Amino acid sequence: MKKLMHILFLSCLKASELIEKKFHFRLSFKEQMQLKIHKMMCSACTIYEKQSKVLDKSIEHHYKMLGKETELEALKKAIYKELSNK
Amino acid sequence: MKKYSAKKDLKEWVARYTEDLYYRACYKISDNDLAKDLVQETFLVAAEKITTFKGESSPKTWLFSILNHKIVDYYRKKGNQPIQTEPETFSKFFDHDERWRTEKRPQDWHEEESNLLDDEEFQDVLKECLDALPSQWNTCVKLKYLMNKKGEEICQELNITPSNYWQIVHRAKVQLRDCVETNWFQN
Repeated sequence: MKKLMHILFLSCLKASELIEKKFHFRLSFKEQMQLKIHKMMCSACTIYEKQSKVLDKSIEHHYKMLGKETELEALKKAIYKELSNK
Repeated sequence: MKKYSAKKDLKEWVARYTEDLYYRACYKISDNDLAKDLVQETFLVAAEKITTFKGESSPKTWLFSILNHKIVDYYRKKGNQPIQTEPETFSKFFDHDERWRTEKRPQDWHEEESNLLDDEEFQDVLKECLDALPSQWNTCVKLKYLMNKKGEEICQELNITPSNYWQIVHRAKVQLRDCVETNWFQN
């Protein structure tokens, strides 16, 4: 029974880790179930997931606005210059 | 076998691989200016040694191996190993049973997502909170959103395991959420 509880019920730390993992990798069936069950019982993690999505979108928005880093273009120019001095 | 002509190939490689080399260096040494220097040095070494490059590995692999030597050299001179310290942040957010601490439990923001994206002040808070995060995470995020890389690709570029990767992201995201909540919603 204890083992079963352990499989079914995640801690908040583990649940929020799976929420983050889900942004980058596919969750296994077991992980999907574990997360679902946890969120049914835990309002904090449900809120966390919602906010984490909002944050992810905001970060994406933020970096899209910045565009490609101009400092990297400057670095390439500097390297070209160094190389042509050789 | 293809013969590598120093000038033309090198120029092309600078255009193609500078970003990847730079992000790897940033991840490994957490100092962006130094990372730039190392990338520059990598290409200088490549220019010297290009006649010995036989094309048995891809140019990218070859350049990365030069960069890795530079990084190892850097740590040797500095006198310590590139140990990746894990900041003890999680105990601030979770208790012994790994439950959210009462004062750190995520609170409902009562705010529409679309409103936040267009809100300049919110974007400013977000930016400040992003800057406060560990640079390792910043490198991961830049690869994802600036270079449009997938999770697996990012792990490859940075030479880390997937679980290492999402733990970095998890840690940073928990801190970021808390920072935004404290500086935006509670003010």
